Amino acid sequence: MNYLIPTLLLVLTCVSGFADQTSQSKPSRRGPATARETPAPKSSQKATNSGDEFGNEPVQKVNDPYERINHTTFRLNDSFTIHAVKPLANGYERIVPHAVRTGLSNFFDNLDFPVRFGNDVLQGRFVRSGQEVGKFVVNSTVGVGGLFRASDHVSSLVDVPAEDFGLTLGRWGFSTGPYLVVPLLGPSTIRDLTGYAGDFALNPLNWYLIFSNNRLISNAVGYSISASRFVVRSPGSVHAYEEMKEAAVDPYIAVRNAYLSHRAAQLDK
Amino acid sequence: MDAKQNNNRRWTQIDADKGMAGELDHSDFRSRRSRRFLGLLTSGFIALSAFAASPVDPVGQLRSEVDQVLAIAYSGQSSETVADRVRPLLEKDFAFDVVTRQAIGPGWRQFSPGEQQKVTDLFSRLVIRIYAARVVGTQRPNITYGKTVTLAPDRCEIPTRVTAANGDRPYSVVYRLINLSGSWRIYDVLIEGVSFVANYRAQFDELVQHGGAAAVIKTLEAKLAEPINPNS
Repeated sequence: MNYLIPTLLLVLTCVSGFADQTSQSKPSRRGPATARETPAPKSSQKATNSGDEFGNEPVQKVNDPYERINHTTFRLNDSFTIHAVKPLANGYERIVPHAVRTGLSNFFDNLDFPVRFGNDVLQGRFVRSGQEVGKFVVNSTVGVGGLFRASDHVSSLVDVPAEDFGLTLGRWGFSTGPYLVVPLLGPSTIRDLTGYAGDFALNPLNWYLIFSNNRLISNAVGYSISASRFVVRSPGSVHAYEEMKEAAVDPYIAVRNAYLSHRAAQLDK
Repeated sequence: MDAKQNNNRRWTQIDADKGMAGELDHSDFRSRRSRRFLGLLTSGFIALSAFAASPVDPVGQLRSEVDQVLAIAYSGQSSETVADRVRPLLEKDFAFDVVTRQAIGPGWRQFSPGEQQKVTDLFSRLVIRIYAARVVGTQRPNITYGKTVTLAPDRCEIPTRVTAANGDRPYSVVYRLINLSGSWRIYDVLIEGVSFVANYRAQFDELVQHGGAAAVIKTLEAKLAEPINPNS
């Protein structure tokens, strides 16, 4: 069962990557723009000149062939966030002081070091992987097991972009594939969903869970870590979602555009 | 653009002055010296006035604008008071006509001048309301300003990094500015790579295509009628 989802996703990515290549080789019925997502607003001259009134270009179509299903999932996720995650996040915020919450959030970030490091290596970014090692060592020791971001006080270790397998696939040349709204998980793409599975496989903590003979213990440990991580990260994601929804005239498009732009900007770093 | 043409004109004038000083070489020494001094004084004065008319440093201007807003935002007042006090500052700092035109996209040209005015008014009210609700806080964040990137002769962007005082993860905010009559004004803000103008443009696209200005106005009015939670 543990292997099923990653395998399925890997197959999906290969299929979507192949489908993209073939669709690009022949003219699309809806024009060439349909195969591309909205261009990312990057901090570069090239990006700025597109997508603003100075170019006066029309909005490019987004690769969202499952828009109707995505809309339904978006609505379900919305009510799940408001009625389940938000009360949980509020409770967590009421009970646990801010300093402790920040410490726990830092702790889980530090725990994800192998994933970021592994992806740096897979992308051939050795300077960045070195910085990740430096961050991990400093935060695990001076930062008391990752509770404090001591690395923020070391100039060379500040602002190291966090890599994940979705970005690795992007750098390897895979296109994003269709936009997806995943139940409970939220906005994603075929590439990022596969990346999610890749990151799971890159984390040594999960190796124990996958290969352990004692299913009962390994499942208990796995679920505890996932549940704690989910609770610790819930206030941030609920606030971000509510702020986005409050400002939006069309929340579905606002979230889709923000997600795709943010991921494209990460890919550029 | 006007300021730039003025500058060019001034520099042409300075070159002409220099030429005049060159022609005076045949006259007697005293008069030559006094005329040269006069020429120098004149060109110096022109250069000075050219400098005064040239656009101000965008980073310095942005820094002072952000400082003014933050001073109000972190004064411990209620969000309503903050919104009221921040509004005139934001109206001055943002080029709302450019912001709205960009957020609507090419369909803007089909709007009547009256509709354009109405949409600009409603959209700027929405942006100010959202912005004011977001900047309210108890601890002032630390903002570091990066190097200005020139995008066009009259446009630039300034990357900044915002570090919250409570230990939350720092995030990137990029301001895009346009030079309008010698003063830099904000026309887009990118938070973690997401442009708010491009985000609204994507949202307005279908409305503009299917319902035109009327649909945009109706949606914006409905949005402004919704209550806002400053602590969400």
